[in-house]
Amino acid sequence: MAKLDASDAVVFGISIDSPAANNAFAEKIGVTFPLLSDMNRKVLKEYGILKMYNVQKEEYDWAQRTTFVVDKKGMIQSVEEEASAINPNNAVAVCTKLPKK
Amino acid sequence: MGHVRSLSIIAAAVLAGCMVAGATRPQEDVKVNHTSLKAGDMAPDFTLLDNHWKQIHLSDYRGKKNVVLAFYVLAFTEG
Repeated sequence: MAKLDASDAVVFGISIDSPAANNAFAEKIGVTFPLLSDMNRKVLKEYGILKMYNVQKEEYDWAQRTTFVVDKKGMIQSVEEEASAINPNNAVAVCTKLPKK
Repeated sequence: MGHVRSLSIIAAAVLAGCMVAGATRPQEDVKVNHTSLKAGDMAPDFTLLDNHWKQIHLSDYRGKKNVVLAFYVLAFTEG
């Protein structure tokens, strides 16, 4: 099982959902890490992963699935987009290789 | 603090996998914006509300912890 050392790393899920929706979702799937709300899509824009979707001829925008690993200096260590971002093993591997404090 | 030794992020996979159980989302992608951020870039700071309405600042973790940011499509969907 892929594990992260909680004394050394934190995980945040991020989407455009409201805190209330995210909390219900967190309870449903039993996540142990916080789910963050980017309701105004500000962070999605800054990270360049706001994606346009066409649903029944109307356009909507929400996140493209992407995983970033950020080290203790605030530097991005890895970026995985779309399908490759589903499996957390690589993100865990990247974290594990980063130097301890 | 310090007592929790490890955190399973298998939940991240659950996050992805469990969405299959949700309502189907009819969609057609029109534009894909690949991020211009890459390894070696500084992560833009942010302040966001967590699922308990608490503000989370990315910068609070600077010098303390590595951070995995898992952007997901939508809660309760297969996305």
